[in-house]
Amino acid sequence: MPIVSKTRRQTDYNLFPPSVPIVIDNGASYFRIGWAGETEPRVVFRNIVQRPRHKATGETVTIVGDQDPAMMKFFDCTRSGPRSAFDSNVVYQFEIMEYILDFAFDRLGASGSAIDHPILITECVCNPVYSRSKMAELLFETYGVPSVAFGVDAAFSYKYNQRHGKCQKDGIVICPGFTTTHTIPFVDGEPVYKGSCRTNIGGYHVTDYLKQLLSLKYPFHSSIFTWEKAEELKLEHCYIAPDYVSEARKFQEGTKEAEEKTRYWQLPWIPPPVEVPPSEEEIARKAAIREKQGQRLREMAEAKRSSKINEMENELHSLHFLVKQLDQVEEDDIPSFLSDTGYASRQELESTVSKVTQALRKARGEPKDETDEFEENTDSNEKYPLINVPDNMLTPEQIKDKKKQLFLKTTTEGRLRARQKRNEEELEKERRNQLEEERRRENPEFYLEEMRAQYKEVLERVEQKKRLKTNGSNTNGNQKSGNVGRGERLSAAKRERMRLLTTAAFDRGKGEDTFGAKDEDWQLYKLMSKDHDEDDERPDSDEAELARLSSRLQEIDPTFELKAEGEPGQASGEAPRVRPLTEEDYKIVIGVERFRCPEILFHPNLVGIDQVGVDEMVGASIRRLPHDDDKELEEKLTSSILMTGGCSLVPGMKERLECGIRMIRPCGSTINVVQARDPVLDAWRGASAFAADLNFLGNAFTKKDYYEKGEEWLRSYQIQYNTL
Amino acid sequence: MEGELVEADIVVPMHLSFKKTQAYEKYPKGQSRGRWKHLKQILQADPDHHPFYINIESPPSTQPCKRICDVTGFEAPYVDPRTNLRYANAHVFKTLRSLSTHQVHHYLSIRNAAPLLK
Repeated sequence: MPIVSKTRRQTDYNLFPPSVPIVIDNGASYFRIGWAGETEPRVVFRNIVQRPRHKATGETVTIVGDQDPAMMKFFDCTRSGPRSAFDSNVVYQFEIMEYILDFAFDRLGASGSAIDHPILITECVCNPVYSRSKMAELLFETYGVPSVAFGVDAAFSYKYNQRHGKCQKDGIVICPGFTTTHTIPFVDGEPVYKGSCRTNIGGYHVTDYLKQLLSLKYPFHSSIFTWEKAEELKLEHCYIAPDYVSEARKFQEGTKEAEEKTRYWQLPWIPPPVEVPPSEEEIARKAAIREKQGQRLREMAEAKRSSKINEMENELHSLHFLVKQLDQVEEDDIPSFLSDTGYASRQELESTVSKVTQALRKARGEPKDETDEFEENTDSNEKYPLINVPDNMLTPEQIKDKKKQLFLKTTTEGRLRARQKRNEEELEKERRNQLEEERRRENPEFYLEEMRAQYKEVLERVEQKKRLKTNGSNTNGNQKSGNVGRGERLSAAKRERMRLLTTAAFDRGKGEDTFGAKDEDWQLYKLMSKDHDEDDERPDSDEAELARLSSRLQEIDPTFELKAEGEPGQASGEAPRVRPLTEEDYKIVIGVERFRCPEILFHPNLVGIDQVGVDEMVGASIRRLPHDDDKELEEKLTSSILMTGGCSLVPGMKERLECGIRMIRPCGSTINVVQARDPVLDAWRGASAFAADLNFLGNAFTKKDYYEKGEEWLRSYQIQYNTL
Repeated sequence: MEGELVEADIVVPMHLSFKKTQAYEKYPKGQSRGRWKHLKQILQADPDHHPFYINIESPPSTQPCKRICDVTGFEAPYVDPRTNLRYANAHVFKTLRSLSTHQVHHYLSIRNAAPLLK
């Protein structure tokens, strides 16, 4: 049963005389405020505050309680989530408390210059005096309240139910609340806090447990399991198993009963569009289009080439014409004639001619003419006349020239040598290819087999090397995806580097420092350096061999398939990790979770809280009572156990509690557990009835009392519930 | 403010006549955060007396600790030494080993057993 918020602004505030107290149940989850003597609180809302920025004006505004999601579009909530004034069940954040009280009094319709009504407000059991005094201060100073009284919600609920004959004057109240669960024994109608017990577990933990379990079970949908959604699921589906282990076993064995108890929640799911493989015609059509496009491109390239050749021919023609003209010009007029054409000398003109001729030849696709380069070499003595002349016979100018010539000569020779080597390699390759071809012709089958074996071997070698580099050998079975994000130290070389660095960092000052005594020591820095491991980034001989073999195999073996690089996962035949999601993946199954989550109330150690559960708390409370083993009183207490608080609404609570308490009590004792009339609202109703009593003001204290009597008095302050 | 918003009346007014000091006077911008003592600090500051918030805390349970499978919630006779997760049977063990370190950590932290990184 979800708690309904009531936040409508009340209009009858001024009809109440100042003597009527205002009653507040300040619970960690819900805040309830109303008038003494009434049976229903006037205003109820979730005890949270949000302070977002209003988008239009930029002001920070205060919003209290649950909001209409449709209204939140006007606000920027990125910087402030919902906040509570509570730490566990104690109010500590009085700024937030003030916003909540502002909202509450405003909604109650307050309009005067102060809140001119006595106030009864609930607090937790044994509220620390700091929190109590801050609350009193806030009410006195900020709201001008004439007098204040504090009481405990569970106690009010017990007294209210006692009044309605549900329980006796001696008994125990069990109150599983939002953040904590309490048991308080009552003796002669008064709560005995010395005997009370608090376990730090409550409805909040149940919801949080459910939320976490579901988002772990369905990592793909974790975003839909918000706190509110989990709360809704808890209220709707959770129950307490009479016996956890046997209930769980039913589910484990998959009995029919378990199947009936399993709830399903189908999320909206849209099947992905099915891809239809293209028809024959489609493929043919596409191929035709591609062919056509290719043809067009080829034509365009051809046209471009021919136009370029044309252009060059024209240029050559004009150059030849120029040379011819130059021949006719007289020697003296050459400079003036050339200055018009833009060439400095006859040599330059001729070199341009030869350049253009070569370019044209290249464009036409004719073999490059290398004769002139060879010519260059034959007359090296003429080209470099200074090389063989000793230095002392030259002027400084000539020495410079000699150096230049020397440099030119060595580079040309080097180039020549490289070309020769290339030619030789080419020849060698050709010869090898021929040899292989011959062998293939002799016995094609055998040759293919051999090639394949060779390919496999080399491939293995290369992959081994790769594996070593990334060092996947010692990954643990459940870290398959855990490696992501730690790429820094993935490779063995990098890890080795890190190891060296750390040992170097921590070795200092340990014993005698002999570093540098041996030359090898300095090798360490080379290993440490960042670019050290980049050496093997270059493709090595194995990889080149692999490339050669695979290309060869592609030529001659129709069945050969090239293994794609960068996909080692596929190479080892592993199935792809991502499969298409089906409707089944969008079905949330809530089975064991239904009773696993509320089970933490009975076994808090399931969520790592080392305290007794609700049932055992009763025993602990009785033991704590200073009653000298009064069996009669114990009997009285256990025969009047009241459960109140939001969590006692979980189905199966009463039976389980009874059973649990019976286990810890002596054989034959009477155990009677009853549920409060309304576990959620009875606390407020009890408080309202208490405040309506004529003796109420005797239990309240004024501002004057507060300042005169001091902290010590406030610490021991306790109201007398028996007036109720 | 938008008309819709005014009509919905969800924003607490800045100025409230019944207050002696308004919130904006008391908490000028930027001053508010981290001013309040947390419960732990409150309890440390309070001198010990009886009964007191700390004394009424429940004792640890005397019943044997219930061990349930972290993944399925079934009774768990086994513990995986590698992840420290409890599990019910071989089938669960298989799923357990396919979990990422993050998920394992999450399961452990639910029952407050995750290793603390300091």
